[in-house]
Amino acid sequence: MSGIELKNVTKRYKENKFEITALEDVSVRVKAGEFVAIVGPSGSGKSTFLSIAGALLKPTEGKILINKQDITDFDEKQLSSVRLNQIGFILQTANLIPYLTVLDQLLIVKKMQGSVSKEDKAFARQLLKDLGMENKENKYPNECSGGERQRVAIARSFMNDPDIILADEPTSSLDTERGHEVVQQMAEQVKTRNKAAIMVTHDERMLDYCDRIYRIVDGKLSEDVRTQKETN
Amino acid sequence: MKLAIKELLYSKGRFIMIGLIIVLISWLVFILSGLGTGLSKLSTGVLSETEYAGMVLEEGAEFSLSKSSVNRSLAEEISEQDGVTDTAPINLFRNSMRREGTADSDAKITDIVLIGVEPDSFMHPEIVEGDDWESSEDNQMIADASLKNEGYALGDTIVLDDIDKEFTITGFTEDQTLYHQSSLFLPMDDFQDLRPSQGDAEDEAETVSGIIVQGNDVDLDTFLEGETDVEFGTKEETINAIPGYVAENATIMMMLWFLMIISAFILGVFFYVLTNQKTNQFGVLKAIGGSNGFIIRSVISQVFILSLVSVLVGIGLTYLTVIFLPEAMPFHLEVSMVVIYSLVLLAISVLSSLFSVVKITRIDPLTALGRGE
Ligand SMILES: Nc1ncnc2c1ncn2[C@@H]1O[C@H](COP(=O)(O)OP(=O)(O)OP(=O)(O)O)[C@@H](O)[C@H]1O
Ligand SMILES: [Mg+2]
Repeated sequence: MSGIELKNVTKRYKENKFEITALEDVSVRVKAGEFVAIVGPSGSGKSTFLSIAGALLKPTEGKILINKQDITDFDEKQLSSVRLNQIGFILQTANLIPYLTVLDQLLIVKKMQGSVSKEDKAFARQLLKDLGMENKENKYPNECSGGERQRVAIARSFMNDPDIILADEPTSSLDTERGHEVVQQMAEQVKTRNKAAIMVTHDERMLDYCDRIYRIVDGKLSEDVRTQKETN
Repeated sequence: MKLAIKELLYSKGRFIMIGLIIVLISWLVFILSGLGTGLSKLSTGVLSETEYAGMVLEEGAEFSLSKSSVNRSLAEEISEQDGVTDTAPINLFRNSMRREGTADSDAKITDIVLIGVEPDSFMHPEIVEGDDWESSEDNQMIADASLKNEGYALGDTIVLDDIDKEFTITGFTEDQTLYHQSSLFLPMDDFQDLRPSQGDAEDEAETVSGIIVQGNDVDLDTFLEGETDVEFGTKEETINAIPGYVAENATIMMMLWFLMIISAFILGVFFYVLTNQKTNQFGVLKAIGGSNGFIIRSVISQVFILSLVSVLVGIGLTYLTVIFLPEAMPFHLEVSMVVIYSLVLLAISVLSSLFSVVKITRIDPLTALGRGE
């Protein structure tokens, strides 16, 4: 099975003498083609969860398996390579590189992997076209609207053809209409390209596009009753 | 590399500022270096432009030609020593000159160094304009071309201070200056007749300032043992003994290296601030899988391209400045120096960006998720 699995993950932050448990015994499995949402109040541990799933942060306890490979004990270099080759991140706004055009934002991913081929360029153009950005290839981020930037970020996360897509509040800076558009497009991409996707959001209206919904409260994860029956 | 250039072009304003600093620094470095070489030529030209191993001088003269006198007949014996390929006596004293017939007017008097050398020795100056001395005629001089800036020309008749003779400039030579003054060369025999005799005339005719020795691995030990009152100074020792040369040179070198050290700090701070401003950007690159190596390569190649272009502009400006410098200015830009200082400047800017490299490796990709801002 390709996809991502977190097994009994706990994360504690040490701050002075206090210990904050940001995640407590969390287990999730997301398969290819599944679009999962994680919702929860502020400070509940959503970003912590995503950082651990995205190989940016190490758990205090537990295991992370990406495509069946245990990455828990990887060093910084190996983690960087996992991020580069197997994970696509959709970050919040302003996370594009200011001096690169829309097309170059995608190609830089290929560049970091080695070199950019003709096929890569064609693939990048196709992704932009799928997201309705075909006429904006040569624009710089500051010439794009918030929604357009978010769509570029989505396209970029697919550029390395990863198995796992992670999105941290991708709609937080968008109005409702744009937000729907962006999440809908994301869902489409996840389905057509068969990715395992996790989206963190606190926007309940976006949940209709997702296959499963998890709620997180004080670091504890539980599946939403609405979706529980369909799986497991 | 492409990434680096894209950013350079996108954020032109910011990079032009840093580039401008590098341009100005390199410009100043090249000008100083040219001035340094020019000044040391002016101070040592006659010696530094000559290929020689050392000089036999009077003991106690502290290797200074102007303080020394030795007998020129020693040359023969020195020629026979180990490693010696050739010898040439040299005699000199400082004087001043003016154009003939201007003694009573307030026409300009120019300080010069009068030098006597054997016409067939390796010390014979190279003629760049005009003719050599005619052996049949007396009172001919070869002058350093710098005297042209004082208005002297081929065929001019000149008089020397306190010497009751007239001389003609038959030819010009180049880069033959000493003690910051232009030289006038005379055949040794004419030179020996210049000074009014005081005492033993025969002895005086045989006395010169020193004997210049050419050769490799010159070994004068046996010769020096047999002679009293003489000693051997290497080329370096005799050049360093030129009054003011070491101090002058050291001052300019100090200025040059201080300038470089200061520029290293200024550039280091600039690059560091720049890196700091881009923390979030680097965090994003790391979060989407960019390795430290990728980011560092991009930053360093950026610094390299920027410095290379700036130093090249600095070189261009320097050569442009040279066109506008007055002829008489002691300025001599050596290509080898330009190359060396360019490389040093490039190395400095790349090294000064290494502070930033350390900073980059410490950036946490988590900053991309919005934490730590
Ligand atoms: N680096 C850290 N050091 C110490 N405590 C931290 C750190 N990061 C997060 N925490 C704490 O862990 C808990 C979970 O934080 P997290 O950022 O995961 O919440 P969140 O659900 O993403 O909140 P929000 O919706 O506001 O973004 C919070 O109590 C937070 O204060
Ligand atoms: Mg968060």
